[in-house]
Amino acid sequence: MSLAALDSPPNRPRWTARLKEFLIDRLGLETFAELAAKKRVPIHRSTVFYFLGGMALFLFGIQVVTGILLSLYYKPSPDQAFESVRAIMTEIEYGWLIRSIHSWSANLLIGVLYLHLLTTFIMRAYRRPREFTWITGLVLLAMFLAFGFSGYLLPWNQLAFFATKVGTDITGGVPLVGESMLLLARSGEEVTGDTLARFYSLHVVILPLAVLAVLGVHLYLVQKHGMSVPDAAARRYGGPEHVPSMPFVPHFLLRDMVGWYVALGLLAALAALFPWELGTKADPFGAAPEGIKPEWYFLFMFATLEQTPSHVFGLENKQAVVLFFSLVGLVVLAVPFLDRRADRGGPRPALSFLATWAVFAFVVQTAVGLGLLHFGLSVSVFVSGALAIAFRLLMLWWCALDRRRMSA
Amino acid sequence: MMEATSPSTPRRAWLVRTLQASVAASVAAIFYPVVRFLWPRRGTVSSAAEVVAPFTVAQLKSLQEKGEAPPPFNFDNKPCLVVLMPDGDLRAYNGICTHVACTVTVRPGHGDIFCNCHNGVYDLNGQPVSGPPPRPLEAYKVFRRKTPSGQEEIVVSRST
Ligand code: HEM
Ligand code: FES
Repeated sequence: MSLAALDSPPNRPRWTARLKEFLIDRLGLETFAELAAKKRVPIHRSTVFYFLGGMALFLFGIQVVTGILLSLYYKPSPDQAFESVRAIMTEIEYGWLIRSIHSWSANLLIGVLYLHLLTTFIMRAYRRPREFTWITGLVLLAMFLAFGFSGYLLPWNQLAFFATKVGTDITGGVPLVGESMLLLARSGEEVTGDTLARFYSLHVVILPLAVLAVLGVHLYLVQKHGMSVPDAAARRYGGPEHVPSMPFVPHFLLRDMVGWYVALGLLAALAALFPWELGTKADPFGAAPEGIKPEWYFLFMFATLEQTPSHVFGLENKQAVVLFFSLVGLVVLAVPFLDRRADRGGPRPALSFLATWAVFAFVVQTAVGLGLLHFGLSVSVFVSGALAIAFRLLMLWWCALDRRRMSA
Repeated sequence: MMEATSPSTPRRAWLVRTLQASVAASVAAIFYPVVRFLWPRRGTVSSAAEVVAPFTVAQLKSLQEKGEAPPPFNFDNKPCLVVLMPDGDLRAYNGICTHVACTVTVRPGHGDIFCNCHNGVYDLNGQPVSGPPPRPLEAYKVFRRKTPSGQEEIVVSRST
């Protein structure tokens, strides 16, 4: 429909007009046309944040397409998995490209989702009536992390094998049901061919279906409630309904597409310049290879696991870490209900501070995981806390300046 | 994109053409590697020039006298059949039916080669006799070779 708008009627041969009419009549396309015409995107300082969701959607599309292509040659068994991925890299034409794009895009996708979470938090886009949009979004994030984790094992190389061993072992730290969860995740006591089959099914059947369902709800809610307007913008224009906006179709969509095109170019460049490594075939009875690490998006947990002493308050190391991150997860999930003054547009100092602290802690811990910083746990906590306090003070000062400039 | 100027303005028309050309080029650049990826990899199967049948002439003869035939064996990744003719000659065929590719069976009792899928019948020379098969079976070269132990083994090779 957006393309139709590019063409003016006198130029168009009559049969295209008739075909369009035919399709609109039969398929009830006017419903979509009406929805599309109604959807508008507010224009303000943070409008760029609205691109992140669409970007995640695009990258998911890339994952579906390249993933289906990979599944045409990939063979999920311990005897063949590594060899089949090697064949994809060396024998199948452009196999290296498809696999590298799948791997790079997985990483970009999770990066974009982390940013999407952060920016919707900053805009307080989770407030009434958007609580479920927030919750479904977090569920999607968890599912995509599971996508990344399960995909990582599939090439059946040393790194993947041990990363999966460690990653699944941690679930054993969950109180009471940990043992059973571990058995269920690995399909046995050890990581074996059964684990591979299970992860493959999770990666190409279960998660895609589950994601489609939750994504459907998420997008329906976004469509239903429209884009949320941040308080600052609403204040500036004297109410959210006075904030200027542009039609989603075609104005915002075309801008979205420019972003997608750039992302595609970036992916192709990354894949060509840094093709994804394959490593060496997994050896279940060999020693763990040196420098074993999970993907960057799990590093902050990995670093915390490494820093935490063997016993904390009578809990074992991994139990304490699992408990801590579960609590963090629950708090993030409950954000819409913790922001008590949300409706009245009042400030949320405690939440803002905690979130700032969490972001700095994420950065510091990722750096620790990469080996860039050599901090103990208490140093990490202290440094990220201090950075958060400094940042909040800076923000307060900046807002005060802004207000003075506005009233002057 | 939708304001004042109409597509008939030359500059505008040129822009639209350029956009269309770039979109077409991008689509081609995306589909080309995908199509090449989908194309099956080049023959990774070894294609042996000749193969020794897993049975000797004597074994074949005694089986055929009982009205049975040995199962096909792999030659060049296809099922290969060997027939001992009444005059003592050997024949070897690619056992893939020329109709729609089932694997045929030698029936020494009937003195023919039969396809179970659609009742296609060939004679022992591989010529179609009745039923749907349109062409004769592909024939291979075959000869006997004496082994050090005094047996006669069967060697099949490509006909060209
Ligand atoms: C329907 C969607 C998907 C399908 C059918 C699919 C399919 C596959 C297949 C067959 C492999 C094994 C080939 C290989 O290891 O190179 C794989 C690997 C992988 N997938 Fe997916 N995938 C899908 C979505 C995703 C998503 C959404 C993510 C990211 C969050 C993801 C992340 C990965 C990762 C990290 C690997 C390992 C790459 C490697 O090292 O080779 N996949 N996927
Ligand atoms: S396939 Fe042999 S008769 Fe049809």
